[in-house]
Amino acid sequence: MGSSSSSINHIPDAEKLMQETGFSAAHIFRLYERFEVLDRDGTGQLRPEDFGAVRELAMNPIGDRIIRAFFSPGQETVDFAAFVRILAHFRPTVTNWTRDGAQTEPANSRTRKLKFAFQLYDQDRDGKISREELLEVLRMMLGLQVTEEQLQSIAERAIQEADLDRDDAISFDEFRKSLEKVNIDHKMSTRFLS
Amino acid sequence: MPSRTVSHSPAGLGRSLPERGLLLLVVLVLLEGSVLPLGAASSPDVTHKENVDSHSVVDKGHNYTKKAFPVLSLDYAHIQQPFEISLWVLLASLMKLGFHLVPRLSGIVPESCLLITVGLLVGGLIKLAGEKVPPVLNSELFFLCLLPPIILDAGYFLPIRPFMENLGTILMFAVVGTLWNAFFIGGLLYAVCQIQPANPSELHQLELLPCLLFGSIISAVDPVAVLAVFEEIHINELLHILVFGESLLNDAVTVVLYHLFEEFSSAGTVTVMDCFLGIISFLVVALGGVLVGAIYGILAAFTSRFTSHTRVIEPLFVFVYSYMAYLSAELFHLSGIMALIACGAVMRPYVEANISHKSHTTIKYFLKMWSSVSETLIFIFLGVATVDGPHHWNWVFVTVTVILCLVARVIGVVGLTYMINKFRIVKLTTKDQFIIAYGGLRGAIAFSLGFLLDKDHFPKRDMFLTAIITVIFFTVFVQGMTIKPLVDLLAVKKKQEAKRSINEEIHTQFLDHLLTGIEDICGHYGHHHWKDKLNRFNKKYVKKCLIAGERSKEPQLIAFYHKMEMKQAIELVESGGGVKMPSAVPSTVSMQNIQPKKPAPTKPVDRALPQLPKGREEEIRKILRSNLQRTRQRLRSYNRHTLVADPYEDGFGEFLIKKQKMIQLEKKIKDMNNYLTVPAAPPDSPTMCRARLASGKDTDFKPAQQQKGNKTCPDPQAYMKQVSDSVPTIQVDLASPQSPDSVNVMDEFRRAGKQPQQQQQQQEEDQGLMMKPPSGASGANKPGEADEGREQQKLMRCLSDPGPSAEEDEDEDEPFLP
Repeated sequence: MGSSSSSINHIPDAEKLMQETGFSAAHIFRLYERFEVLDRDGTGQLRPEDFGAVRELAMNPIGDRIIRAFFSPGQETVDFAAFVRILAHFRPTVTNWTRDGAQTEPANSRTRKLKFAFQLYDQDRDGKISREELLEVLRMMLGLQVTEEQLQSIAERAIQEADLDRDDAISFDEFRKSLEKVNIDHKMSTRFLS
Repeated sequence: MPSRTVSHSPAGLGRSLPERGLLLLVVLVLLEGSVLPLGAASSPDVTHKENVDSHSVVDKGHNYTKKAFPVLSLDYAHIQQPFEISLWVLLASLMKLGFHLVPRLSGIVPESCLLITVGLLVGGLIKLAGEKVPPVLNSELFFLCLLPPIILDAGYFLPIRPFMENLGTILMFAVVGTLWNAFFIGGLLYAVCQIQPANPSELHQLELLPCLLFGSIISAVDPVAVLAVFEEIHINELLHILVFGESLLNDAVTVVLYHLFEEFSSAGTVTVMDCFLGIISFLVVALGGVLVGAIYGILAAFTSRFTSHTRVIEPLFVFVYSYMAYLSAELFHLSGIMALIACGAVMRPYVEANISHKSHTTIKYFLKMWSSVSETLIFIFLGVATVDGPHHWNWVFVTVTVILCLVARVIGVVGLTYMINKFRIVKLTTKDQFIIAYGGLRGAIAFSLGFLLDKDHFPKRDMFLTAIITVIFFTVFVQGMTIKPLVDLLAVKKKQEAKRSINEEIHTQFLDHLLTGIEDICGHYGHHHWKDKLNRFNKKYVKKCLIAGERSKEPQLIAFYHKMEMKQAIELVESGGGVKMPSAVPSTVSMQNIQPKKPAPTKPVDRALPQLPKGREEEIRKILRSNLQRTRQRLRSYNRHTLVADPYEDGFGEFLIKKQKMIQLEKKIKDMNNYLTVPAAPPDSPTMCRARLASGKDTDFKPAQQQKGNKTCPDPQAYMKQVSDSVPTIQVDLASPQSPDSVNVMDEFRRAGKQPQQQQQQQEEDQGLMMKPPSGASGANKPGEADEGREQQKLMRCLSDPGPSAEEDEDEDEPFLP
């Protein structure tokens, strides 16, 4: 991507975004291009329908949830900055990130990635994945291929395994603990954004 | 004969009687092996003469002098070859047994080293006995008989996910790394040979091409050696798959280089065209091998779809198709190893969905057995061939080779990692690089390839062989022995416990979907995108073709879930949960004694136990007495075989729960009773009674009649306590007040307010293990028709594999099906 520095000036708050998220100029540029492709009516804001235009997302079992995750609760549109911030979660984790000053934890740290995934489960934002929320996700993923009892059994067992404080729901810490063997850095990063 | 059942004698005892006996046995076997051939030298003449005599006697007609009928004669030549093969296999297996008797030794020295030593000893013995050492490691035997089982075992059980995720890295190491090694070693060796000082040594005669050929032979990392050593050090999955994958995939490179240089050596000159052809040839060899393997794999998967009526030969298909893939690839000089890997990896998911669980166990154990014996034999033969082989020791050549091998490997790994890390998400650290470099072991493949060399074309063959053997010994002994302490020293991450929880599985799938979605939003066709596409294609078309019946639609998560439940239940029974009795009863007492005793003396039992009419109680006792005895035996046999049951078979029960038309179902199942030996149970089934008596305290147990009133069908089924899936029906678990797990489970379930409402079928109550996933509290009854059809099929699948013997086997080993 040559001469990206000049084209980046078109992008609002590019510098700030770069610093905040750790993306390079080339990445921001690429993401901006993609943003413009998605933003068909050129308003500078994305709406759920714009996301829906991505064909493959429709086939994705949790496509709706992913789309909704881009929108903060109550908001109807997503601007470029928010778009980039969400995608920053999926940057590959750099083990030695330089922290200048009092910066908050970078978006692509393991905890932040997990938090993002957790929020996809926890739709009512109460900080816990209740059994119904888990069931809903299972229903979405497994669809019509299984019976209700099987879903219930699986959900039951999952909660049984993960729920350490016996409150019949999975808190963020329990969620994190159950995934401690999984290499989140690998599983939740995509190379495009590296 | 000394007993074979050597228990783990404490290290201090060491030379106890059974071990002495085992050693004696081994020595006897060796002597037998060496003495008999000597004795055989004379016997053929004897038998021949006898034949001649008898012939001439018959020819003469009627007047013949009667000879003494040979009561006992020796005819070794007749059975010589199979006998010797069996003797070798026996020796190998006894060695394997023997090593584990000396615990300290097997901890320090890897098995491969010990086996080579044994081979050296045996070779030495044979040589001392004056016999000609049999050329055991001839390349035909090695490549056609000894190598395939190991590779098939590796390929069939290859962990696909980490392999695919790291495929780029593995290919880089395998292809570029091996090429680099070959040229570096070959080239530098040639240079070193040329710079010999004034006195004309034989090394001057060594030309470039033979050097390069030698380099290509010695540069390949050997899968057998890597497997043998890495299996004992338990490093983390990533490193294991990297080194192991590299050792498998570099076969293509080795094959091409070997044939290339062999051809060129006879031709003498190399042109650019030849190089170009070499590259094309590499692609053909590699991709062709994979293609051949994949074709045979698909054929095997397709064949397994139709084996539902002849389950006994299912394993045979797997083995024969794989072997044919190997041979077909070798026919065209393609890479046989890659064909074998591709065949095993392609056919596995489909075959496993189609075959019965017995066949699955058979395949697993046969593969492990063959590969284990093969590996042992290879190392022993290596030792024997060392004693025998024509050796030509040349200090310079050998030492330079060894040093160059090490140096080339290190440089290669470091350089490649530098380049690879630019593309990897999870970078390889220095520690990883060290282990990868250090794990580059050479083995018997190099030796066999060297053995194949033609003496006329390569006058230096003996020197090559000596050098190859030295390198092999060096890597296996020095590197093999020191890698374990080094791994500990460097604190390399070890292999984590493979137990995946259901949470991990759910969340991993969820994250897969998430990442696919994110990639789609970014418009990026990345790793996840293609994986998703492949999965979709697989689900839509391939599975329908290759998997029989209902299994084709089963989502992965469900299969995983069932497998887990099954495993846990079996573990529980094995660990003695099934034998734990209420405190008052000694553990060895037969289960018959449960009945009269009141369990859990701490809490009064009466309040939990329903009041039974007297006559009923007697009935119960009688039934219990007759059935429980059988159950116990079956449990034992079940433990001994520790079959992991088919995960799908235990899901059978869930569909039965929801039945509105219970009676029809029962009738249908009665029809299939010919498979089962247990008749439909009387109203108060033993299961119910057993549960009652065993459970004692805090069960919210209510007999079927009380609980459901009139809602139950007129035929009261056995009520089974609504318990967690993981606890078997022989609910003695609950009986022991000390076991906290069962209590917790029960508490949870009570809290969850589950309404126990299953109804079970009676037949199999005596078969031991019952899996009962808890049904939801909802009464959502799916329409019966679809389910019935499905569970018919399932029942057929469970019961359609009677095995070699009659149904009795089936009953004993099947899990308790509700």
